[in-house]
Amino acid sequence: MNYMELTEKLVKKCISLGADAAEVYLETGRNLSVQVLNSEIETIEEASSQGVGFRVFTGGRMGFSHCNDFSDLSLEDTISRAIGFAKLSTPDENNVLTDNKGITRVADLYDPGISSEPMDKKIKMALELERLAMKSPGISKSSGAGYSEGESEIFISNSNGILKSYKSTGCSLGVSVVAEKGDQKNTGDEYCSRVFFSDLLPLEKIASSASARAIELIDPVMISTQKAAVIFDPDVVRSLFGGIISALDGQRILQGASFLKDFMNKQCASPLVTIVDDGTISRSLGSAPFDGEGVPTRKIILIENGVIKSFIYNSNAAKRAGTVSTGSASRGGFSSLPGIGTHKVYLQPGKYTPDEIIKNTEKGLLLKEVTGYGVDPVTGNFSGGASGLWIVDGKITHPVKGVTIAGKAPDILNSIDMTGNDIDMNRSFSAPTVRVAGMQIGGK
Amino acid sequence: MEKENNRVRDIPRRKFLEMSFKGGILIATTPALLTQLVSCSKGVKASSSLDIDPAILSKAIAKALEKGGDFADVYLENRISRQIIMEESKFRSGLYGISQGAGVRVISGNKTGYAYTDEITEEKLLRAAEVASYVATSGNKVTPAGISVSSRPSFVTVQQPLGEIADEKRIEIIRRADQAAKDYDTRIKMTKIDYNDEVRSRVILNSEGVYLKDELPLLFFIVQAMSDDGKARHMSRERLSRHSGFEIFEQVTPETVAKNAAREAIAMLAAGDAPAGIMDVVMQNGWGGVLVHEAVGHPLEADNIAKGIGAFTGKMGQKVAADCFTMIDDGTIPNARGTINFDDEGTVAQRNVLIEKGVLKGFMTDVLSAKQLSMARTGNGRRESFRYIPIPRMTNTFIDTGKDTPEDILASTKKGIYVQSLSGGSVNPVTGVFNFTCREAYLIENGKKTSPIKGATLIGSCMDVISNIDAVGNDLDFGPGICGKGQAAEVTAGMPTVRIRGINVGGSKA
Repeated sequence: MNYMELTEKLVKKCISLGADAAEVYLETGRNLSVQVLNSEIETIEEASSQGVGFRVFTGGRMGFSHCNDFSDLSLEDTISRAIGFAKLSTPDENNVLTDNKGITRVADLYDPGISSEPMDKKIKMALELERLAMKSPGISKSSGAGYSEGESEIFISNSNGILKSYKSTGCSLGVSVVAEKGDQKNTGDEYCSRVFFSDLLPLEKIASSASARAIELIDPVMISTQKAAVIFDPDVVRSLFGGIISALDGQRILQGASFLKDFMNKQCASPLVTIVDDGTISRSLGSAPFDGEGVPTRKIILIENGVIKSFIYNSNAAKRAGTVSTGSASRGGFSSLPGIGTHKVYLQPGKYTPDEIIKNTEKGLLLKEVTGYGVDPVTGNFSGGASGLWIVDGKITHPVKGVTIAGKAPDILNSIDMTGNDIDMNRSFSAPTVRVAGMQIGGK
Repeated sequence: MEKENNRVRDIPRRKFLEMSFKGGILIATTPALLTQLVSCSKGVKASSSLDIDPAILSKAIAKALEKGGDFADVYLENRISRQIIMEESKFRSGLYGISQGAGVRVISGNKTGYAYTDEITEEKLLRAAEVASYVATSGNKVTPAGISVSSRPSFVTVQQPLGEIADEKRIEIIRRADQAAKDYDTRIKMTKIDYNDEVRSRVILNSEGVYLKDELPLLFFIVQAMSDDGKARHMSRERLSRHSGFEIFEQVTPETVAKNAAREAIAMLAAGDAPAGIMDVVMQNGWGGVLVHEAVGHPLEADNIAKGIGAFTGKMGQKVAADCFTMIDDGTIPNARGTINFDDEGTVAQRNVLIEKGVLKGFMTDVLSAKQLSMARTGNGRRESFRYIPIPRMTNTFIDTGKDTPEDILASTKKGIYVQSLSGGSVNPVTGVFNFTCREAYLIENGKKTSPIKGATLIGSCMDVISNIDAVGNDLDFGPGICGKGQAAEVTAGMPTVRIRGINVGGSKA
């Protein structure tokens, strides 16, 4: 089937069935997943799938419908549902579709080689990854290893005449192991996700990182409730910044539901904090030539040296705010309305090595795991469960488990006083080590 | 691989699950979990693909077992969903969705092969069966049993079928809720109301000959209210959900839901910083049951037990909790959100006592883990949609009612935290370490609920928490939620008022 033609044709169909304006978002793809456990295949899942979502406007009212059956009858019925549903909505002058025909050139989002790698090789990689992770002394059990891959093609067209598509791939290897000592149990996981199969990290590297994580928190010592420095390992920086990014969502700002609503062009964080969302980085998961509404992606500086420089907008929120879309329309797939989200966020690295940060810490927690919801974008409140390594006089003394950390986001952001140079740009949220001068830690 | 955390999500729009699909890679056509909460269209019968001749399904089973295997099943699904969203008192959009497809599974020893298709045709089903049979390269070979049309009791009754309800009635419900929230207090600045209904039709055929068909309606109504007094702000939430027809809104009015949300939003404007450290916690009855859902429920799902890594591995029949602690998973509670009639493998739903007076009595199994552990199937094999394999999941999970009155429990707690409602939480099922986040909580001073405190995270380990519960109330109640374990499932969590001694509270107050 020629999906490009179908997508374009379906926009016309929406108009002929009574929509004033329409957008068609069509997705096709396939995925494969292999899970292994204790040197045996546990599951193999494989499928290809498709779906289409229709967003229609009548008299400024929006309706949406989706289906995964591409027969003429089903497509027409689904479109009629959207048009019928639009009548229930409230007219909104901000309900607009993009007329930007541009496409940002982003190289290497699709690896044609993934599907031609033999299945047996993928199974062997998962088995070998598990074997290597189990090899470390102290690791007693496996909770499994896996390989997965996905491939998708997105087509978008609207009644302003845009018609765009792109293909992308992703593949991922992961493992989870358990370290036990007496009654103690600790899990350690690591994964690696890439656009290109050949870019996947060596199995040894993924395996040793998973086992190191399981082992490093064995024999924890409880600490007392106190205020101390907290050093966020790159892997857990997201727990802090995820909610901050949500608070920059333009729709939230307009609704007054963000603790950062009055901070545009104002200092909200330490000058060490520069956060960028860049969907144009080549060969990177999260990158795309256009967003969920077809608006070309671009590099957006969200926070520069602690000053908020941009909120993020889709077309509706941008029009309401009197600005233009930042290319930040997110889409949970063909079955969802465009929301607002980021592509590839990173926190600018600093000048210190992680060791230097530890050495310069008189007393504090090197944070390895955080649980909970992170920063509440409405209030800026932060609270979570934590484990990591305790530092006294610049040296790691013992593991810590079962403590809590808490604070208010503005205070935390302003007390970031050291950032590392250890950024891994392949993470979906890339950040270096970050030190917060003082946070409340709850213990015994 | 993403951490194998299990979590009950806060609000639908939070995308915690997006990354949890087998290691957080981009996956084509990942169904948007939340917009999949669906509805039934007025007067229109779902597409007839589910009426496919059972003989074709039998052929698919035979094909699936051609190379060997112990068990195979075919699962057909059609879901018609409807969602209406109101934000800032405006109807933003209506969403209508039809999703259908079929999955074929083969179990061979400990291995599972699975493939699915969006198109329910003989050709695609046979192709899926062939792909699924990849895992069965040797070993056992079973002969599929002939089809026997099976029947299961139904625990879902409907008075006003969703398919017969005009959309204007749905709109009216939302409008009433919005008005009630705004009328509650002028400091309510905004509401977000999310109305969802769906009808999920299932057809199951397996190699044991079980052939089942049914249709489950589901209604899910969420009101969020944001208060702002110029100094503080709070976003509250109240949810209503049942497998039910539209009569649900006669049993619980939209005004009741909205007022509850507005009450929380206003009460929490005065919240101060929470204290930090280990303290006693009294949890109000209802959705607080998410505590045991996370801390105890997930570790009692038999998949991790079968792997030999779950926190309760090897503890069957042992004393694991306080005498006053009995925990049950019951998929048969009439019309409850977690009720399923039969699970997505065709096993009849039942009431499973998991822990009785502190003694471990049962795990929750699906076909595979029951076989691996040589245990009975408990009716907990569930799946989000045809795109997922069934895994052990909870249904309606709760701490059973106790003897204490809620008033006595509070009055006998000198100092601590009173948790009125939780956002949700998560657990590592291997270590049993859990966390959950308070949405509405108060200080307890001298046996009385005093000032409100800001959303703190509570953490602990499952073994400690169930040993440290020392009072269980006589006021059992339930709340609706979405449980995520790589795939979403509709559940309820319940409990009476309980007291737990010594939980670590993540407050910011020095």
